[in-house]
Amino acid sequence: MRCRPIRWPVIAIAGFWIGTCHAQEVAGHVPEQNRQAQQAPSPPGSSEPSATAWWLPGDGKTLAVLAPYRNAFGSVGVLNAQGPVATAGHPFFEPIGRNGRACVSCHQPANGMSVSLEMIRRRWEETEGKDPLFAPVDGMDCPHLPAADPKSHSLLLERGLFRIFLPWPPKAEAGSDLDPEFTLEVVRDPTGCNTHPDFGLRSANPMVSVYRRPRPVANLRYVTHQGFGVFSFIGKNGLPASRDPETGLPSAMNLLSDARQPTLKTQAVEAAVTHLQFDGKLDDERLGRIVDFERQIYVAQIRHAEAGDLMEAGGPPGLGVRNVAAGRDGLLGNNITNYVIPLGDRWKGNRMRESIVRGENVFMFRTFWIRDAMHLNTVGLGNPTKRTCATCHGMHMMGMDVANGWMDIGTTNLPWAREEPLNPWNSRKPLLPLFKVTCKANVPPHPFLGRVFYTQDPGRGLISGKCNDVGTIVMQQMRGLAARAPYFSNGSAGTLRELVDFYDRRFNIGYTDQEREDLINFLSAL
Amino acid sequence: MVMFSAGVSSAAPPATGERVSFVSCPIVRDTSSVPCWLSEYEGVIYFLTLQTDVSAPVNPPWLGHKVLVEGVVSGKADVCGGRVLEPVTLSVMQELDGSCNTLLPAEDRYNLDFEPPRPPGPSRGRLAFGNPTPAGAPTVDSAPRDFTLQYEFDGMVAFRHAPTLQRMLETARATHATEVRITGYRSASRLSNGTVMRERESIARERAAQIRTLLQGAGLEGVRYSLQVKDRSKRPDGTGDAAHRRAEVSIVGPN
Repeated sequence: MRCRPIRWPVIAIAGFWIGTCHAQEVAGHVPEQNRQAQQAPSPPGSSEPSATAWWLPGDGKTLAVLAPYRNAFGSVGVLNAQGPVATAGHPFFEPIGRNGRACVSCHQPANGMSVSLEMIRRRWEETEGKDPLFAPVDGMDCPHLPAADPKSHSLLLERGLFRIFLPWPPKAEAGSDLDPEFTLEVVRDPTGCNTHPDFGLRSANPMVSVYRRPRPVANLRYVTHQGFGVFSFIGKNGLPASRDPETGLPSAMNLLSDARQPTLKTQAVEAAVTHLQFDGKLDDERLGRIVDFERQIYVAQIRHAEAGDLMEAGGPPGLGVRNVAAGRDGLLGNNITNYVIPLGDRWKGNRMRESIVRGENVFMFRTFWIRDAMHLNTVGLGNPTKRTCATCHGMHMMGMDVANGWMDIGTTNLPWAREEPLNPWNSRKPLLPLFKVTCKANVPPHPFLGRVFYTQDPGRGLISGKCNDVGTIVMQQMRGLAARAPYFSNGSAGTLRELVDFYDRRFNIGYTDQEREDLINFLSAL
Repeated sequence: MVMFSAGVSSAAPPATGERVSFVSCPIVRDTSSVPCWLSEYEGVIYFLTLQTDVSAPVNPPWLGHKVLVEGVVSGKADVCGGRVLEPVTLSVMQELDGSCNTLLPAEDRYNLDFEPPRPPGPSRGRLAFGNPTPAGAPTVDSAPRDFTLQYEFDGMVAFRHAPTLQRMLETARATHATEVRITGYRSASRLSNGTVMRERESIARERAAQIRTLLQGAGLEGVRYSLQVKDRSKRPDGTGDAAHRRAEVSIVGPN
């Protein structure tokens, strides 16, 4: 790695590795993240044996045009639209940072370019926790914890969550402090990270630690589209959209769960710093190769264990990875021309196919009352609104929000977020931190939660500093779900059943057993 | 918000064409298609609006909050059992109110006798009232130079303002604007019972400053921003009060 002109000082902490290179300036909150990433220790070595489907950084294999990987529901397919990818020397696949990880470490082809909890646990067992996946910087609950102890990695091993550390108060794009509309108080800190003297909110480099799932690096032409709803002002609140620093164009703001990075390139810069412990800004040549790779890779389920081949000729136009690769991006789904996930009307043949079609119908047309969901009920629909799953999950072919997709449906904000039941008969303790949020007196209270409320992850609020953004999370694409459990940004739904049950409970939907089963089957075929 | 009560009240049902202004809980009534939004004031049920989508000119209020209703009683047939207010302006009150929690079930007698602009599920290919965002940049000749943002009571920029802000930005760019003149207003509302509700004192300045900040944040640098404030809260008359909750923006020269 080449050293860059000195712009960020690296803090030396007794007992930790001390960086010798310094990072080139990049925008916003990343310099502070770099200081903490370089402060965290890194594991010794990365040349552990590969599991069957585990893609080892620096492996040098070729990723085929179409690579199928088995999962519990059939097979997921990874399609490289530009042809096979020679991964030797490719910056997405090479360990370019200090800790032996590559991008592929957390974006595994076998897991639909995310990484499943099952895979993480298997990797732990096979390497006795020595794989770079478990790097202290974010693969531990907090970097100061003892190495090789599964308790130090409880969130990764039990929920599939990596630590995301973000400066507090938030940073503007130019790097100055924002004045947040709310105060943040740590009321529960099971990982010890938010109160740690070197890594926490009161450290010299004040940082909030939250814990999130890796989002799939696939189908990103859709995720980063410039079509419907992408404008200079955010359709949810009228505030300026973040922009591509190179072109000035507004971003769809759908990449990360808090929309903190506008483009694949800026995301890669941050990810190299925070996840790979790369000390600096990646050079344009490597950034270009990473982005080119990410723009051409697609993921979808290609075979269903009971429904059969999802790519057969004349099959549903919304299923199978080739259809995903051929689809139009930037479209809002509707019920006449661009169904969110078009299945057509000719797909029959067995009971599972019929169930999947019924599940799609539930997704599109089964109404229920959506209530107290920030950035959904507040954007012109009223509270409550009688709508369907496809109201929010509206992007054609992806099933995510078409733009600026952060909402609070209660996955991280109390009272709806999954919490460990506390009673004398349960020895399990809460895994996630809990923050008390107080909206300041000079701003309106949160429309549905009031002036004081609690959250496991402030989500978009950690970036915007807006009280009504606390707990809002950018909606996830629905492709390759079968390959990458658990679900939601905090891994709180372990299975597709738990995912559907969350909505059923949150919105009092009252699904019948048949509706629930059909919806799960539909999701498992995407 | 500051409230003053003059104790004036009228118990007689309002006649067609009469203006009514009141703060009350919204009521949701389900139908066999989309729900209706109603509110009750002095024993009369008013129809406020239907559920549609983001492009609707009037958006439904929120349960969990009171709503300021400012409208004109129309002569149209009742909808969902409520007298129709048209035009109507709705402002969601910012503080939470748990007493606003009425969701009525559908009844055959209140079902809509017309097709709603938008079904309760996915659209039929377009938004109910057209695309809420403009299709393309304006030309120098066609671009309007003056814009108005209307606000809810004590409200700032919200989702409904994004299209207008977009047009301001594109106009300023297309015309190589040298100056953006922004006037923020403060208003008050005289309710039907005589109570006067005044917006917070600083809101005119806040509105003007926010628009400047938003345009700058969207990249409109290198122009001069001229800010003014006007206070229209002194003599609310219960007729045009909602119209004064606004900001005016003019894009100036050189083309």
